Amino acid sequence: MFLAPVTQFRVSSAEAPASLPATVDADSDHELMLAVRAGEIRRLGDLFERYHKPLYGFFVRLTNQPSASEDLVQIVFYRILKYRHTYRDEGKFSAWIYHLARKVSADHFRKSARTPTPTDPADFNEQPDQEPAPDAQAGTADDLELMRRALARVTHDHREVLVLARLQHLNHQEIARLLDCSVGAVKVRAHRALKELREVYFKIRKEQAA
Amino acid sequence: MNCQRVQDNFIDHQDGTLPPAESAALRAHLASCPDCQREWSALQEMTRKLDALPATEEPSPRLREQFYAMLETHQRDADTVSPFALAKSRIDRFFAALLPSTPSLQFAGALAVLALGVFTGARYLQQPVPPAVTSPADAQRLANLERELADQKSEVKDMGGLVAASLLQHKSTSERLQTVLATMDQKSPDRHVLTDLLGALAFDPSVNVRLSTIEALAAHADQAVVRQGLLATLPRESAPLVQVAMIELLTSVREAAAAPLFERLSRDETADKDVRESARRGLALLRSPSPTDPLKSKQPSNPVLS
Repeated sequence: MFLAPVTQFRVSSAEAPASLPATVDADSDHELMLAVRAGEIRRLGDLFERYHKPLYGFFVRLTNQPSASEDLVQIVFYRILKYRHTYRDEGKFSAWIYHLARKVSADHFRKSARTPTPTDPADFNEQPDQEPAPDAQAGTADDLELMRRALARVTHDHREVLVLARLQHLNHQEIARLLDCSVGAVKVRAHRALKELREVYFKIRKEQAA
Repeated sequence: MNCQRVQDNFIDHQDGTLPPAESAALRAHLASCPDCQREWSALQEMTRKLDALPATEEPSPRLREQFYAMLETHQRDADTVSPFALAKSRIDRFFAALLPSTPSLQFAGALAVLALGVFTGARYLQQPVPPAVTSPADAQRLANLERELADQKSEVKDMGGLVAASLLQHKSTSERLQTVLATMDQKSPDRHVLTDLLGALAFDPSVNVRLSTIEALAAHADQAVVRQGLLATLPRESAPLVQVAMIELLTSVREAAAAPLFERLSRDETADKDVRESARRGLALLRSPSPTDPLKSKQPSNPVLS
């Protein structure tokens, strides 16, 4: 009742392929996780199939290190197994897994800040697979590459909220719970993040033009 | 609606979560405010570009392989629960079922146990435990133990005598005096103590100690060993005060064996005048028959010396 009908300005994002599978209901995730907690470890495989790609996308966007991101996904699922007894009956699995993912990425950034690891040469790859098909408009392809680089340069906190909201499609309530802050604070942060993204985007475009 | 307020609502408006009235107001403002319009379209453009970002490339097959390997390991670990762990979990469950789960009940339970302990202690620990003599064999053992205890006690007493002797030999004058005076408190000192005292009388360099020793010995002058000791030490004594005290003591107990000694002293020209005087008086007393103590005058305790 409080929800307004989708406005004409609403940006459609449903077709993003790496988003959470919309068909999977949270109950089912929850039931699977309860089974895992009860000792049916193998049923975590279903959850892996559902979540490993979105998680991988989350980590790649956040760290810009594709090969390290695979390890981080593995660590998240390892922690799910290790801490499966702490999963609560009234829990929501997607919230829990992103909670773990954020902790894993925080550990990763702390570690890489302490010991600057040499960047994986694969990460220098411009990732041609990500480019749209050659028959797509040339301008859009440039745009997307620009946006990818801009997102990589946004500060970590802003990048995180952008990835969670726009690429992982978590709603503001979920993000607020995840970041342990109010919904209002999430909105403020999301707005600022978009502004910063715009500044960085135009800065890069200016650099390229020069 | 001012511009700041409008821009604050952009995110909600974008998500379609703004109430219809506010949404309409926002749109009306946008239509009239070029700044906000620019801001809004920039936000929209960024969002669109961001959303248009293609999915990251697929993770390599390595991720899936590693995950399922890890899953198998964990499943095996979970399947092969050790019997020990199983027993432990059963015991844990048993006690968990036995004990109260809420903190208030746990607290009450702890208090109850404490109260029970205090009550039991007060009720049963105050009664003295009676000596449990159950059989004649036990009684015999008990008697043996008591005898042993008595032996040990007397040994300790002898030790006390030895300690006194060592005191007499090594300590300062005042300490030796005190040791001697301490022996006077003893109602019936044993032979060792008397020997110690006689030793002190013979060898102690201090006149005061020797005088005190005589005083201490006076209480036990009825014993033969004391009188013999006095008779033996008197000829060697050089201090007139001590000599007089000894003579008086021997006279008071009517030691007949002292008579020749007294006679010699009374005629000794080198001896002190007081000594000769008291020796003469003692001799006179010994020679007059005593009606109160006829036994002693007739039977001298030390015939060897006489």
